[in-house]
Amino acid sequence: MRRGIPIMRRVPLGLLSCVAVIVFWQVLSGRAFVNPALLPPPSRVAPAVWNIVASGSIIEPLTQTLGLLAVGYGVGCVLAIGLGLLMGFNRHVYNVFEPLVELLRTIPKPALVPPLFLFLGIGAATKITIVALAAFFPVLINTVQGVRGVDPVLLNTARTFRRSTLSTIAEVVLPAALPMILTGMRVSLGLALTLVVLAEMLIGSTGVGFLILDLQRSFAITDMLAWVFILGVIGVSLNAAFETIEHAAVPWRSK
Amino acid sequence: MHWSARRGAEVAAQADFADAIILSVQGLGHSFTVNGKAVPVFQGVSLDIARGEFLGLLGPSGCGKSTLLQIIAGLLPAASGRVVFEGRPVVAPPPDMVYLFQQYSKSLLPWRSVCANVGFAISTRGLSRREKRERCLEYLRIVGLDGFADHYPWQLSGGMQQRVAIARALAAEPKILLMDEPFSAVDALTRLELQALVLDVWTQSKLTIIMVTHDVDEAVFMSDRIAMLGPRPSSVTTVVETSLPRPRDAISTRELPRFLKLRHMLLGTLLTRPGEAGSSIASRDSDHA
Repeated sequence: MRRGIPIMRRVPLGLLSCVAVIVFWQVLSGRAFVNPALLPPPSRVAPAVWNIVASGSIIEPLTQTLGLLAVGYGVGCVLAIGLGLLMGFNRHVYNVFEPLVELLRTIPKPALVPPLFLFLGIGAATKITIVALAAFFPVLINTVQGVRGVDPVLLNTARTFRRSTLSTIAEVVLPAALPMILTGMRVSLGLALTLVVLAEMLIGSTGVGFLILDLQRSFAITDMLAWVFILGVIGVSLNAAFETIEHAAVPWRSK
Repeated sequence: MHWSARRGAEVAAQADFADAIILSVQGLGHSFTVNGKAVPVFQGVSLDIARGEFLGLLGPSGCGKSTLLQIIAGLLPAASGRVVFEGRPVVAPPPDMVYLFQQYSKSLLPWRSVCANVGFAISTRGLSRREKRERCLEYLRIVGLDGFADHYPWQLSGGMQQRVAIARALAAEPKILLMDEPFSAVDALTRLELQALVLDVWTQSKLTIIMVTHDVDEAVFMSDRIAMLGPRPSSVTTVVETSLPRPRDAISTRELPRFLKLRHMLLGTLLTRPGEAGSSIASRDSDHA
């Protein structure tokens, strides 16, 4: 069984490449052929990050972005798991929805922002919907695969002990499909974060996405890069947190 | 001892009484569809199993004995014929009947502790959480797994996992236990231990057991009666009473002349190709025993 926070295992060697890029960036931005106004060195971006964090100005945009992410991602995952269980468990439901799912999941989700914007306006509704849509499909597909992949021996075990359909789904199918569902949810988390930032850039005037675009337009390049860096840290942290939860939830998977 | 030794005679004498027959297999047939054509696996299989009996269902690989057992369990529909369990035709897994799978590692729920796996067999109605746990612990004690209640199946060896599966089957308190090659996936020594365990449990309960196996030695050692399925399309070709004394001993029972004679006869029949006269043990590499 593997132990510990997953990200910690990757640090030592991975750290080298990160340091190399930062050093390269630092050296590059000191050169004559690079405009320091467009590429401020890490030595200037780092204090800017610190300022954003220390002054507390990180709180509002981050809360808005993560709030939208949580709601959209949550709604998307819950709906996907529900439909996925039905599709995986019932052949008729599967046959009804499968072509529609295949059609919709291939549409790049950013393309849906403008049409959704027409119906749902510039408020949170559009952003939550787009994030939910982005999160929905990977979770749905993995849930269906997970449910259909449940070992027949396990299902027959539930039958020989005379479990009802509902009890079989709750006590056997759902836990058995959980590893697959969680894998889908991890993929979705990255997509959802991408879409929430994109949606903020395209519509509305709040959140980290909007802020990055706004800072770029007002030539506050150092602060803009600081926020990009903060988003990167958020992405890595979310993924690490998710992997930790995943390992705790399915300890039998590594067996 | 007294009670067990009487079994064989009692079974024969009471065969006429409907009550003595717990399960009746009547003209069962099954076929697989290959390229649109129905290929019969077995046909016309009829068997009566007496209450309290230990029946061995012996046959070569591919003769459909596991399929037959699944039909008996109500896990598969019968193509022809029917199964009657305590006077009622079996159309779905009936109460008082439990099927023990060969693949214990796939049949246990990896997200549940050993104790909770056993609890899967116990209906939650009318039992407090503590009472339920106590009953699970009781069945774990019977199979010799005290102290492992809070482990997870994947932390245990194969033999121990099958013990958990046996404890879970017992916890359902069935009248009849169907075992599909229950010891074929464990090592030879563990197999002997598990055989002894199942015989102990069977002796101390009023359980009826049907055990599918391709292991002649195992069938003779454990059963009251052995029904043998021939090659495909198979039907019951031979039914023999083992008439070996009980309790059976892993070593001395296997040295009895009667044991050796049965083993010789059954192996001879199993290894004889259709249409071939006499025994041809030497001409076949024996991976069955």
